[in-house]
Amino acid sequence: MNPFWATCLILSSLLEGTRGRVLYPLPSKEHKHKQPLQTSRPYNIAHRGSNGEIPEETTDAYKRAIEEGADFIETDILATKDGELICFHDVTLDDTTDIANHTEFSDRKRTYQVQGFNVTGFFVGKVRQRYPFRDQQYNGKFSIITFEEYIAIALDANRVVGIYPEIKNPVFINQHVKWPNGERFEDKFIELLQKYGYGGAYMSAKWLKKPVFIQSFAPTSLIYISNKMDSPKILLIDDFSMATQDTNQSYWEITSDSYFEYIREYVVGIGPWKDTIVPPLNNYLTAPSDLVYRAHAHNLQVHPYTYRNENSFLHFDFRQDPYEEYEYWIKTIGVDGLFTDFTGSLHRYQKCASGILR
Amino acid sequence: MSPLWATSMIFFSLLLGSHGRPLYPLPSKQQHKEKKALQTSRPYNIAHRGSNGEIPEETAAAYMRAIEEGADFIESDILATKDGQLICFHDVTLDATTDIAKHAKFANRKRTYEVEGSNMTGYFVGKFSCISSTLFFLQVYLDFTLAELKSLGVKQRFSFRDQQYNGKFSIITFEEFIAIALDANRIVGIYPEIKDPVFINQRVKWANGKKFEDKFVETLQKYGYGGAYMSTEWLKQPVFIQSFAPTSLVYISNLTDSPKIFLIDDFDIRTQDTNQSFWEISSDSYLEYIANFVIGIGPWKDTIVPTKNNYLTTPTDLVDRAHAHNLQVHTYTFRNENSYLHFDFHQDPYAEYDYWINTIGVDGLFTDFTGSVHQYQEWAQASATNEASALGLLHKLALMISSFEGEE
Repeated sequence: MNPFWATCLILSSLLEGTRGRVLYPLPSKEHKHKQPLQTSRPYNIAHRGSNGEIPEETTDAYKRAIEEGADFIETDILATKDGELICFHDVTLDDTTDIANHTEFSDRKRTYQVQGFNVTGFFVGKVRQRYPFRDQQYNGKFSIITFEEYIAIALDANRVVGIYPEIKNPVFINQHVKWPNGERFEDKFIELLQKYGYGGAYMSAKWLKKPVFIQSFAPTSLIYISNKMDSPKILLIDDFSMATQDTNQSYWEITSDSYFEYIREYVVGIGPWKDTIVPPLNNYLTAPSDLVYRAHAHNLQVHPYTYRNENSFLHFDFRQDPYEEYEYWIKTIGVDGLFTDFTGSLHRYQKCASGILR
Repeated sequence: MSPLWATSMIFFSLLLGSHGRPLYPLPSKQQHKEKKALQTSRPYNIAHRGSNGEIPEETAAAYMRAIEEGADFIESDILATKDGQLICFHDVTLDATTDIAKHAKFANRKRTYEVEGSNMTGYFVGKFSCISSTLFFLQVYLDFTLAELKSLGVKQRFSFRDQQYNGKFSIITFEEFIAIALDANRIVGIYPEIKDPVFINQRVKWANGKKFEDKFVETLQKYGYGGAYMSTEWLKQPVFIQSFAPTSLVYISNLTDSPKIFLIDDFDIRTQDTNQSFWEISSDSYLEYIANFVIGIGPWKDTIVPTKNNYLTTPTDLVDRAHAHNLQVHTYTFRNENSYLHFDFHQDPYAEYDYWINTIGVDGLFTDFTGSVHQYQEWAQASATNEASALGLLHKLALMISSFEGEE
């Protein structure tokens, strides 16, 4: 063999190698007949994965949630300094990562809230459990994941599992991160979903194959993407005292009948905070408001947040029993989905309460 | 009418009145002839001190709530007062669960005792027995009569539980406790404990040389309790008599054939009467001996399955060996709060019930949350029945078909 030709061959195969091989489905993953999404009872939405057990928004938290029967795995999408979309909730890294251990980043500490890290920086930091009363044994074992990795987890499951990503802090992100061609955070968000084949109106055949809800506290973001994607959207609603970040509207305005009539053109439902639907007093429930009733009257679903097993989060009506809480919200109030930190418990409740096999 | 005769009539009828009229069943209670029977097909739901997750422990309200919520048995600790009355109360001191601190007239009863180098100050109902160190016999007198105790208000022991009933309910007597059970509109068993018998017998004397255990059994028999486990008599008025003191249980086995449960404390606690260690009283030879007198044991959960870093480790063989000696196992205590749940259960009390009932196989659960255990058991029973029924088959078919529906 001509040495020159051999060298070229080796060189070009190396080049090929660095570009990555063509993606084909692995033989072990031939899931043609995946068990479909259940649509006969309220959705079990794994809030940040099964974060009651495993640090939030990590691969393991999501896989545990899928194991435990989640209908949807939920996440918050933020953007890094270099424009990558990642799964992370807080604006700061302190509560849920070991950033304090990384002296190389100590100069990035600020007195105001900023996301100033690039992708490499995040991956170096490890995630830890937010609450001290939850299991700490996985602290420092998992990394922050990207939006794409999160999608891969859902698509990789052996049954149909939906995703529920949030366009988080879009106003702030669009101020601080710039993408080429004048694209915005919302555009990149949609592009990624479409890249992986998400699309289709709620309950369409296409949607049922890859279920998704897009959520946000910012109504303009949802309206903006509704031109580009017909996937179902959910308007999140914060506490009584919080105004929307983009339109500066009050709780009372965005929960009024006229607003519901307006926003229903763009969203299929709302995601309110539990204690605004049924306000508590001295840790007991008071009379429920008519929010759910009115939302339903406008054909809007209601997915309240967040359900947690720990007794400090349970009002006394439920006698420290998370199943009593599920029973109340599903049977008495009649919600359409529940954001929970304890996917397994909600799944068990739904199985048991409907009398189906365990 | 002669004024003298009229006066005598009035006088005699007053006398009769003060003796009390004979007790006859009230008309509203007549329809409870056919009371729903005690369930015996699944582990017993034992309302530990009543439904004290919600209402202060060992009060009438806590017991009535537990009955409402489906308890099979309501459980209580029986102590004796200074004047020999039997009451339902758990602690030796009054501080944790009553408003004694508000009663200025009792301030002079406050005592300090030194135990193993540390001082314990409080109002003592009875003997001081420190929960986590070896028992210690102290020279102290029971400090309060029944009337004095009745003037106190009971409060919720744990600060993270509902405080709204504090001071609203009183301490009740053993007889009142029994009345609550008998008054229910279904058959509800009682599960009283002969508590601190050694000390009580040292300090309280009853007439005719009777002991605490005698008065305890007398009270039960007065209300018709008796009969071996699962006898017709027992099923009408179910009862388990429990105690940490084996000699008390042996002693009363001559007086009553009601089923008895031998309570077992933590690894490092010795029996108050015979000073035996955990290892001795849980050995095969001891279980063989005690099986002649008791029908089961009541161990602390964490001795059956020891824990490490708030995770379960390998279960011991205690339950298996007890069952091999035909002894039931009723374990304590199940609580919903996440601080009491080991991480294996991911803060889910129902996962804990599932483990203890289905994996370990206990025969009874002492719980602070009667309603939750009941709900769990009802659901588990419903799904078990469905598996065998036509409905269960239909569900199975539906699931099979739906797995093909994804094909488009």
